[in-house]
Amino acid sequence: METHESTDCKRGPERPSTDGAVAHRSLLAVRELSVRYRLPNDLMLPALRGVTFELGRGDTLGVIGESGSGKTTLALALLGLVPTAEVEGVVEFGGTPLPLRDDRAMNRFRWSQIALVAQASGTGFDPVQRVGDQLIEPLQERRGLRRDAARERALRAWDEVGLPAQRFGHYPHQLSGGEKRRAMLAMALAGAPALLILDEPTSGLDSFTRVAILDLLRRLHAEHDLAMLVISHNPDDVRQLAQRALVLYAGRAVEVGEAHDVIESPRHPYTWGLVNAYPTMTRSKDLWGIRGEAPDPMCPPSGCAFAPRCTQTIDRCQAEIPALMPQLDRLVACHLGGLRLLLEARRLSKTFRDGPGPPVQAVQDASLHLGEGEVVAVVGQTGSGKTTLARMIVGLLEPDRGDVQLQGQPLHSLRGEARRAARRLLQFIFQDPYEALSPRLTALELVREPLDIQRIGNRAERDETARAALAAARLPTTREFLAKRVHELSGGQLQRIAIARALVVRPKVIVADEPTSMLDPSEQARVLRLLKDLQNDHGTALLLVSHDLPLVRKVADRVIVMEHGRIVEAGPSEQVVSEPRHPYTRRLLVAAAGARSQALRANGRAAPETVEAEAADDRLPAWKPPGSGREIQAGAAAEE
Amino acid sequence: MRWQRTGPPRWLAGRCAAFVLTLFAVITLNFALPRMMPGDPITALQDPESSLYVSDQASRAALSHYYGLDQSLIVQYGRYLRGLATGDLGWSIRLNAPVSLLIQHRILWTVLLIFPAMLAASLVSMVAGLHAGWHRGSPLDRGLIVLFAGIRTLPAFFLGVLALLLFSVRLGWFPLAGAQTPFAHYRSPWGALADLLHHWALPALVLTIEMLGGQFLLMRNSVISVLGDDFMLVAKAKGLSDRSLKYRHALRNALLPFVTVLSIQLGFAVTGSIFVEAVFAYPGMGTLAFQAVSARDYPVLQGVFLVFTVSVLTANLIADLAYARLDPRVRTR
Repeated sequence: METHESTDCKRGPERPSTDGAVAHRSLLAVRELSVRYRLPNDLMLPALRGVTFELGRGDTLGVIGESGSGKTTLALALLGLVPTAEVEGVVEFGGTPLPLRDDRAMNRFRWSQIALVAQASGTGFDPVQRVGDQLIEPLQERRGLRRDAARERALRAWDEVGLPAQRFGHYPHQLSGGEKRRAMLAMALAGAPALLILDEPTSGLDSFTRVAILDLLRRLHAEHDLAMLVISHNPDDVRQLAQRALVLYAGRAVEVGEAHDVIESPRHPYTWGLVNAYPTMTRSKDLWGIRGEAPDPMCPPSGCAFAPRCTQTIDRCQAEIPALMPQLDRLVACHLGGLRLLLEARRLSKTFRDGPGPPVQAVQDASLHLGEGEVVAVVGQTGSGKTTLARMIVGLLEPDRGDVQLQGQPLHSLRGEARRAARRLLQFIFQDPYEALSPRLTALELVREPLDIQRIGNRAERDETARAALAAARLPTTREFLAKRVHELSGGQLQRIAIARALVVRPKVIVADEPTSMLDPSEQARVLRLLKDLQNDHGTALLLVSHDLPLVRKVADRVIVMEHGRIVEAGPSEQVVSEPRHPYTRRLLVAAAGARSQALRANGRAAPETVEAEAADDRLPAWKPPGSGREIQAGAAAEE
Repeated sequence: MRWQRTGPPRWLAGRCAAFVLTLFAVITLNFALPRMMPGDPITALQDPESSLYVSDQASRAALSHYYGLDQSLIVQYGRYLRGLATGDLGWSIRLNAPVSLLIQHRILWTVLLIFPAMLAASLVSMVAGLHAGWHRGSPLDRGLIVLFAGIRTLPAFFLGVLALLLFSVRLGWFPLAGAQTPFAHYRSPWGALADLLHHWALPALVLTIEMLGGQFLLMRNSVISVLGDDFMLVAKAKGLSDRSLKYRHALRNALLPFVTVLSIQLGFAVTGSIFVEAVFAYPGMGTLAFQAVSARDYPVLQGVFLVFTVSVLTANLIADLAYARLDPRVRTR
């Protein structure tokens, strides 16, 4: 990934934007392209709906989407290869409209102008003809070359993709998957096209071959004046190969922008989910799929197609299809303008003066934001001010300076009914459930209490909701259990009750202060997973306050590191863990690693911690090395 | 443009071994089956209930001894194998002649009927199937399907009788029966050939039509499935002409399953020829078999079956070889 910065296409201001391209630079202009397949029963199946984009000469555009999003249809439609479909819209190539509906006329553009590297390169060659002959074939037929000239030209392309000459006369089944991919590429290059369409260029390849193919593609792009349309379900392919990215969902473009930005900081909820579902995107975080299923293309939702899976829907989402609108640096098709900013803390400061000593500057100038469905971890040792920050954010503590905006409303100046409504949106999970939960109440009452306070529904409904919340927190809902009180329950069970209690009012933001620190490692892992699981399902944003960086990186999207009341480092968790910039972050990581090996030496036994001391990290974290098979399995299971 | 020479392919040895094994099994079955079936003429000779019962004790014993029925099965089997090796297929009960000689006289006529018919049917169904599959769903495709599916439902003997009634009885274009005009004297070999073809045309046509239906449907399906393959899309994305796509890629690949089934078709062609020959009184193996069945002439039936099964087996072997010619995946593993 480091290499791509150098070889990747130049990012400059001269590149055309999606809507207003410089005419002479434009190679491909797709306007309102819609494709509907005619099914045998004469029903029409929409695959692509009004897709618009432009591609300049030598430019690269990545098209990302799940299977069924219309990616491959787009590739085929540009070549006029969807014979059973109705195609609407205009595709201009080099300034003239392509005769998409005229199969014969399209032959002039295929391969020689727009070449396709098909998805199935494994089965993309005619099994009964030698691969070399299949490269020679179009050179003879389309270019009118004599056989030996065609052969020479084909061998040059063959050599260019790094295939040995003796493989040229082999049959397709004698080549490996990677070789076939290269041969397919050579066949496309032999025509010297201006545009190369790569449909899933790396799918099904092992990681070594994948890297080699990506390198090759970057090299070819740099050496030839070759525009590329990279179609992939893998955001990493697109990030590595494309300057710009277009995200497709249910046949519509939902987000268009710089590839790096779109993938690093997605704005559409779908892009966000997709990027988070990809193992190549993160080496430390667990995988969480997008909740729900892709819509049935035969009866798509009336409004936004992503609405049923989206966590931030408003009424308009069900009624109206959002248009692709400019949002800051890119185009996003969302009525809410993309992922909402749920909570924003601006320059919060707090100084404690009530002690005997000098005033303690607990938090200074701390700013953070929390988007829809995001998990942000605030990490630091005891006394770093993270708990103070968390308490100010939920409104338990008045800041000296700065303010907190919850969905655009200033939290600390809200009063009365508005304040109560805001409270419902913002829930807090305490470090110690023994202290946080009233010993007088039963398990059911504990979970029902927030509903009682918020006066949501009648008594029976509240009981039902509370039971459902307990079940969601993987707790039993038997009569015996519901009647239990705090002293009858284990720490893990209590923390789950606390989680159920926080979730029962369906908040948008949960702030959890060391939610697992009182638990033994296995219970800790289970509770954290549960929290992340519920967060994923509800789209709740989670602010996780912890001293345990190795632990929180498993769930956090971003990490904020605090030292002495100041934020010293903030960034994507992957980046903070693998390339820490601030010395304090490095110390935190080293200490955790040291503690781990120490703990391992101590036969894997770690004393349950009661007081957060200076050596807050001398605990065996309950995480396994990233990338171990069991975790992936567990991640997949949790997705279900 | 051969980049590698594959040595004596191992698959070829495997195929030949399988062929020999199957052949042996077939020969053995051919020996065992008549002996397991009730009602053979020799049994009938010994059965007091039967009309063929030979009442004289000595004659019965002589007959049994002649046909080797007084020997143990192993000895009978040994004699049978020895007979086969020397080309002795037994003695026809009905015609009182060696079976091998009977077959020798008849086999050419059947070959003359089956092979041209198969060749013609294959060519026609290949071309028709390719075009129907290529233009799937078009009026041409639908028309051809109705036509060939219709043909397929007609039994060979019905088709034969129909052809006889129409072309020979009503129109008088073709002779009614036989393979040659009896007692004719030809002034030149060309006259003989013309007479031969005149007799041959109608049964060959019926047999061709009989095989056409199945082969057409097979070819059409095979083409359609090839058209859905990824490499066809890739080839199309190269901007190749329909001609190249159709003949160089679609046809070549659609032929693979077609060739396989062709050898199986030979078995059906043999059955078909029995009916067709019977209807046209054509003096081939089919008529021989047909008459042997009515007369319970078991040695003849046995011989005919042996010839038929061996030829089907050989056809399979040839199909395997042809398949390897067509499909490099078999050849260069």
